[in-house]
Amino acid sequence: MKLYAYCLAESVEEFTVPVNGISGAPVRQLALDGLVALVSDLEIASVPVTRENALMHEAVVRTVMNQTTPLPFRFGTLATAEQIQSYVSARKTALESRFALVRGCVEMSVKIIWNASFNDLKVELPKSQNEEGPGAAFLLKKKREIVGSERLASEAAELKQWLSDQIQGLVREEQVSLRPTEKLVLAASHLVERDAVATYTQKLTAARLERPELHFLVSGPWAPYSFANIDLEFEMHFGVS
Amino acid sequence: MKLSPEHPQLVEPDIETSHAEEFVEQLRHVADTLPSRINIDPQSVEQGLAKLVLTLIEFIRRLLEKQAVRRMEGGDLSPEQIEELGLALMRLEAKLQELKTQFGLADEDLNLDLGPIGRLI
Repeated sequence: MKLYAYCLAESVEEFTVPVNGISGAPVRQLALDGLVALVSDLEIASVPVTRENALMHEAVVRTVMNQTTPLPFRFGTLATAEQIQSYVSARKTALESRFALVRGCVEMSVKIIWNASFNDLKVELPKSQNEEGPGAAFLLKKKREIVGSERLASEAAELKQWLSDQIQGLVREEQVSLRPTEKLVLAASHLVERDAVATYTQKLTAARLERPELHFLVSGPWAPYSFANIDLEFEMHFGVS
Repeated sequence: MKLSPEHPQLVEPDIETSHAEEFVEQLRHVADTLPSRINIDPQSVEQGLAKLVLTLIEFIRRLLEKQAVRRMEGGDLSPEQIEELGLALMRLEAKLQELKTQFGLADEDLNLDLGPIGRLI
C-alpha cells in the first residue's frame, strides 16, 4: 500500500466534511514531527497524468490553502508512510525555512508572449566577408544568428526588469524563466502576500496597458508550487516520485 | 498560519488574458517539448538514449560554432582557415541532422531541463 502525497502543511484543522482525492480515495492527515502531510491510500503503481487527476490534486491542495499555505508535492508523488516520515525528519530545518518563506502567501503567475524573432533582426556584416566560399558563408550565417540571439536576450532581460519594477514591493520572492528565442518569452512566478493580491493584480492591469505589444496571461492565486521545491528534494532523498 | 480577517478566504484562481488561444498553443508547445525520462520500454530505449547523447553533441556543436565565430572576428584566422572551419562545422551540422532524422527526433527534442537553472540549450 502506498500513499499519494498532495502537500505538507504546518497544521490543518480536521475536515468538517470528507475530502476525496485521486481516484476518489479519501484524503487523510498524516502527522509528522509537528507537520502534517495530506495523503490518500492508493494501491496503484503510478498515477496517470489526466485532466481529472490533476484537478483532484489541485482541489485537495486548495482545500488546505483555505486554511494555511501548504508546500505542495509534485503531481504523482507516491511513497510509503515511512519514506515520507524519514524525508520530513531529515529535512526538518529546510522545510521550516521553506514554510517561513511561503507563510501567508500565494503564488501568482505571469506569462508573456512577444513576437520578436532573430529572423526579423537585420544584422549587417562587412561586405568583404560576404564574398567568401560556402564555409565562410556558413560561419557568417552563424554569426548573424548569434548576434540576433544576443540582442533578443538583452531585450528579454530588459522586459524582465520592467516587469519587476511594476510590482516592486509586492513580491516576497520571484522565479523568472526567460526564453528569448521563443514566443513565450517570459514565465514568472511571484510569491505574493494574500493581502497584497488585489494591489498586485491592479498593478499588472496597468502594466498591460503600458505595453500593448505584449500579450499577457496572469493567473492565480495558486498554492506556492514553484517555491515548494520539495518534489525534487524528495526524489533525490528516496529516488521515488 | 490560520486564516484570519487579515488573511481572508481564498477565491478560486483567475486566469486573465486577451489572447487565450495563443497561450494555449504556446503552453502545449512547451509541454510537448519538456524532456521526459528515458523510457525503459525496449522499443523506445534506443530513441531515449539517442536523444540524450544527441542533445549533448548539439550543445557542444553550438559551443564550437560560437568559438569559431569569435576566432573569425578576432582576425587570427586566414581566409583559408575560415573556409575550412566553416565547412567542417557545416558538415557536422548536416551529420547531426541526419542522425536526428534517423532516430525520429526534431530540433526541439534536443534539450534538457536542468530544473531551477533552466534548459541546457
